[in-house]
Amino acid sequence: MNKRIAVGILVTSVLLFGACTATTKERVLDIGDQSQLQRRSYQTRTFDTNDKEKVMRAVISTLQDLSFVVERADLLLGTVSGTKYQDRLTIRMTVSVRPRGNTQMVVRANGQLNVKPIEDPKAYQDFFTSLEKSLFLTAQIGE
Amino acid sequence: MRSLALIIAVTFSLGGCVTLPPNVFLVSPDQLARRPIETRRYDGIKEESLLVASANVLQDLGFTLENSETKLGVLTASKQRDAADAGEIAGAIFVALLTGQPTPVSKDQTIRVSLVVRPVQATKDSKPVDNHFVRITFQRVVRRTDNSVYAQTLDDKELYEGFFEKLSKSIFFEAQKI
Repeated sequence: MNKRIAVGILVTSVLLFGACTATTKERVLDIGDQSQLQRRSYQTRTFDTNDKEKVMRAVISTLQDLSFVVERADLLLGTVSGTKYQDRLTIRMTVSVRPRGNTQMVVRANGQLNVKPIEDPKAYQDFFTSLEKSLFLTAQIGE
Repeated sequence: MRSLALIIAVTFSLGGCVTLPPNVFLVSPDQLARRPIETRRYDGIKEESLLVASANVLQDLGFTLENSETKLGVLTASKQRDAADAGEIAGAIFVALLTGQPTPVSKDQTIRVSLVVRPVQATKDSKPVDNHFVRITFQRVVRRTDNSVYAQTLDDKELYEGFFEKLSKSIFFEAQKI
């Protein structure tokens, strides 16, 4: 019986961890099971405003509301990065803001949890919901 | 069947899978309540002067400035300090006496801070001059004697009150050109 348990643990370990091991190249260029387009679509929202500074200040406020320490911001590049510590978790986020045409701003967020990318669209949906409240504007899905 | 459950439990605990806590990107009532603690409003001072006064306070407190984007009112700073805590050490000695095993205690820490100044109404058309909010967040990353690390956001109300008290003084100095 003990032998069967040991073999069982070995087999499930190989199955579980086998999927996790990857080469350095795969880790640098990892995009998970999703396509680039899929990833962009749930990480991106469009807002009807041409005021980049206003959107960026709202992004910073939202990150602060969510207990992030804002580490970097660059108005020209349109990027904001921050880190949050919660229990044993470290969450890092980068949010970029860029104009589309003369009337809209495209906001894109991407995050990581400890050593893994955040790939749950619900997390990004929640982030944009929080941003909407801070910006008093409705987020439109996609670019 | 029971052995299968055991196998899965053991393997998962070995894997130590971490998942995102639910609603981590929605602002919770607790987080909303933190807003007034971490924020102060300063009227009658230009954003630039407010940032200079803030940078001066951070220097007063021995922080090293890491990043700044004055166009967005953002300052980031950090400092390294001792993290030894008398109570924690006493506790560790007590545990060590009972168990005979040394317990790791806090050794040193990096204290990080982000300070953001924003106009009371940030719209292009109606920029009211010289009324601003300053919001600050403190974190610390602590290293224990066994080199393990833990991190936390600091939420002690008095800590924030103390900081804003110093900032108010610094703004006064700034206004008086001291």
